[in-house]
Amino acid sequence: MKAMSRDRLLAWLEELAGRSTLIGPRIVGEKILYKPVHHSAEIVLDFAKTDLSAKEYFLPSTEAILSVKREKKGFDVEEPSLHGRQIIFGLRPCDARALRVLDALFLNKEPADPYYAERREKTTLIGLACREMGDECFCTSLGLAPDEANDVDLMLTEMAGEYAIRAVTAKGKALLGAAVLQEVEGVPPNPFVRQKQVPILEVGKWPERFDSPFWAHLSDRCLSCRLCTYVCPTCRCFDIRDVELSDKEIERLRAWDSCMAEGYRRIAGGHNPRPAKAERLRNRFYCKFCYYPQDFGPVACVGCGRCIAQCPVNVDAVEVLEGLSAL
Amino acid sequence: MIEQIRDKARELLESKQISCFIGYERGTRGKTHPAFIYNPQEVGRLVWDESCTHNLTVYLHQFKNPVKRGEPPPRVGILLKPCDTRSLNVLFHEKQIDRARVYVVGLACEGVKGNGRLAGRCQRCSERLPLVYDLLLGEKPEPTGREDYAEVADLEAMSPKERLAFWAREFERCIRCYACRQACPACYCFECVAEQLDPPWMGIAIDLSQKQFFHVMRAYHLAGRCAGCNACEEACPMEIPLSLLNRKIAKELEALFGYKVGQDAITPPPLATFKKEEEVPL
Amino acid sequence: MAQNPYRPALGTLVGVKDLATDIKLFQVALDNRQEGRGGFQPQPSYRPGQFAFVSAFGVGEAPFCLTSTTRRSQALEFAVNKIGTVTEALHRLGEGDVVGVRGPFGNWFPMEEMRGKHIILLGGGIGGAPLRPVIHTILDDRANYGKLTILWAARLPSLLIFREEFDSWRAAPDTELHLTVDQGDETWKGNVGLITELLEKVAPSPEEAVTITCGPPIMIKFVMLTLAKLGFAPEQMIMTLEAKMKCGMGKCGRCNLGEKYVCTDGPVFSYAEVRSFLESY
Repeated sequence: MKAMSRDRLLAWLEELAGRSTLIGPRIVGEKILYKPVHHSAEIVLDFAKTDLSAKEYFLPSTEAILSVKREKKGFDVEEPSLHGRQIIFGLRPCDARALRVLDALFLNKEPADPYYAERREKTTLIGLACREMGDECFCTSLGLAPDEANDVDLMLTEMAGEYAIRAVTAKGKALLGAAVLQEVEGVPPNPFVRQKQVPILEVGKWPERFDSPFWAHLSDRCLSCRLCTYVCPTCRCFDIRDVELSDKEIERLRAWDSCMAEGYRRIAGGHNPRPAKAERLRNRFYCKFCYYPQDFGPVACVGCGRCIAQCPVNVDAVEVLEGLSAL
Repeated sequence: MIEQIRDKARELLESKQISCFIGYERGTRGKTHPAFIYNPQEVGRLVWDESCTHNLTVYLHQFKNPVKRGEPPPRVGILLKPCDTRSLNVLFHEKQIDRARVYVVGLACEGVKGNGRLAGRCQRCSERLPLVYDLLLGEKPEPTGREDYAEVADLEAMSPKERLAFWAREFERCIRCYACRQACPACYCFECVAEQLDPPWMGIAIDLSQKQFFHVMRAYHLAGRCAGCNACEEACPMEIPLSLLNRKIAKELEALFGYKVGQDAITPPPLATFKKEEEVPL
Repeated sequence: MAQNPYRPALGTLVGVKDLATDIKLFQVALDNRQEGRGGFQPQPSYRPGQFAFVSAFGVGEAPFCLTSTTRRSQALEFAVNKIGTVTEALHRLGEGDVVGVRGPFGNWFPMEEMRGKHIILLGGGIGGAPLRPVIHTILDDRANYGKLTILWAARLPSLLIFREEFDSWRAAPDTELHLTVDQGDETWKGNVGLITELLEKVAPSPEEAVTITCGPPIMIKFVMLTLAKLGFAPEQMIMTLEAKMKCGMGKCGRCNLGEKYVCTDGPVFSYAEVRSFLESY
């Protein structure tokens, strides 16, 4: 296999950072997050999974979708200027698959979302295969693999201290360009250690479980915050609202929103179809495993386990899926 | 102690003195999480050990309304540590929770641990016993003998410019998930000012200025009400040291008014009271 | 960006009329110079039942049903109830002011399938707004539809909308208009009672009939029950549902009822469909 040594890889990444926006895993406070990197010293190579997904580089937590200027005779509406190219390094296969899940809605369902589409088209993905599955990971139960290469442009696999590198798409090949690679012998580590088979019910089996008291009992401890939806790589609900920057300048913002928030569905008159947190928690699971696949194709979960790791009250998606299956 | 907790819960449920007992149970992956026991046969689920960090007082808000119209609100039993009882006193004083509708099993507490380390608030705990209870379990542990506000010393040593940079660095990571607010027993507004859109005080943007505004504003809304249970910081997915804000404010309040939060349900908090001695000539 | 579906077209308010307490009719003439850059196409084509987003720039957008028909109006017409931040901002505008319009979105009433049938329309309060273009379409094509029975309700007489059109509706051939209010006032001489009570009094036959109901969720719920009592089948009960919306295209995730999105699979649904929803509206 063609490979780069660790030092060579870091040097190549720093070179990329010099000519493009490079986003990679870096330490921020006590967490590891995908952030812009400029120097190789900032890049973390030994990590399990970042604490937030890479979705903010395609669906930013906040973005201005329109610029509006108040004029004497009305308004002038402008769209934001186009973004430059970006490279995301160190993308785990689950996070890369999550982009395909979002594509099903943002690209493939008419009309395509132009903001997401532009970022997606201008981003090159450098994947990094997992050495092993984490305690909370269950990607294999969703038909994914911790070394899946099909969702990235370039795939890196750690092997005996070197990084085997393979171009998956023409975009990846172009990025790799004339980078110097050496041959390396050996077999990548088996990432399927700690693989856990979690029962994922097919779409047709969800309706009969809708009215089960299971949901009320589960939701007793739920705090109805937004944490799970924000750390999730496939959750995409957003809000749109104008903000007045001055008496002449207005921005129309799009920002992350969450179906778990109590007022998420409340309309101006006060009516709220999901007033109880049990209904909202239930809707989140149904949206991911029952509605999204019916509407757009893929199940809206990649088994990354971030919601499991971070939920302050231990609402565990694996436990939920196992519990539902047993009903 | 766990058997005493389970026995009491069973007795209260069987005699229908309560309709639910809120405690802790074993969760997944070595974690403990809040438990809601409705059936006396299930009290075996209850556990008590040093992993029981959550402040369960926050769940009393969901039992405030009657289940059926015309009935009184449900009576619940709850397991509380000394720090948790401070926040319960705040809720009693603010008339959010009716004392008669709660049966408190109060625990003498040696401290809880997170990541193998004794929690900060436990290292300097001055109560050691619950401040309000219907049943007290456990022997009073040794006093910690620790100075109360040592953890804000580093913050105080910073110049205002350094402090601003410190908090900007911390809040940059914030994702405005509101886990801190939702875990806090004292944050019970129907519509938080952070989510009001008329006017849009904080708008919808998840950017540094709105995030800083939210956290500082929340700390001020909690001044004199924050019991220091640290549920906010423990809930935060980005490990932001939120308690430093609240502790600094608590330190100032104690110095100015000699006030410590949640010691009882009667003493009015200084920011909600005015004393004649405080009158300043115009 | 080519054809950005989030970008509104600009339009000028050519008319702002009071319809009822806190309800105004906005008439918007689209600015053709923004042609092809989002929003409506220059010759707007839309059907009864569809909706559009109206922007009060500086505050935001909200969805409103289109209450006009292309046949009767060059301008787009919206009935706006002042109840939230966007509608309050819109109510502060007057003739000559500029708004944004984005649409049309959603599905539409099955006007073709309704031909030759007895049409029964039930509108409560602002819910009458999506029914007005149905009435206009029928009246402008009278021979192709059967009897038209309109039940129009509001909490108070001052909240009945499109009052100035009532005479023209009554005057149309084979058309009945029945009004009711929850609470009368000194001048009110008509029916007092809920729309369900009025419906039981009028007792239309389900034979070759189609009903369309629009109003607050609680009203729709009880009208469905009453229609069932009168022998109507779920397929004969059409309704238009409301939900909080932000994008209109099924992307923001907000308006789903189960796997259906009110913005793309609706807002027009039959009770036969709604009954099978896992969630309640």
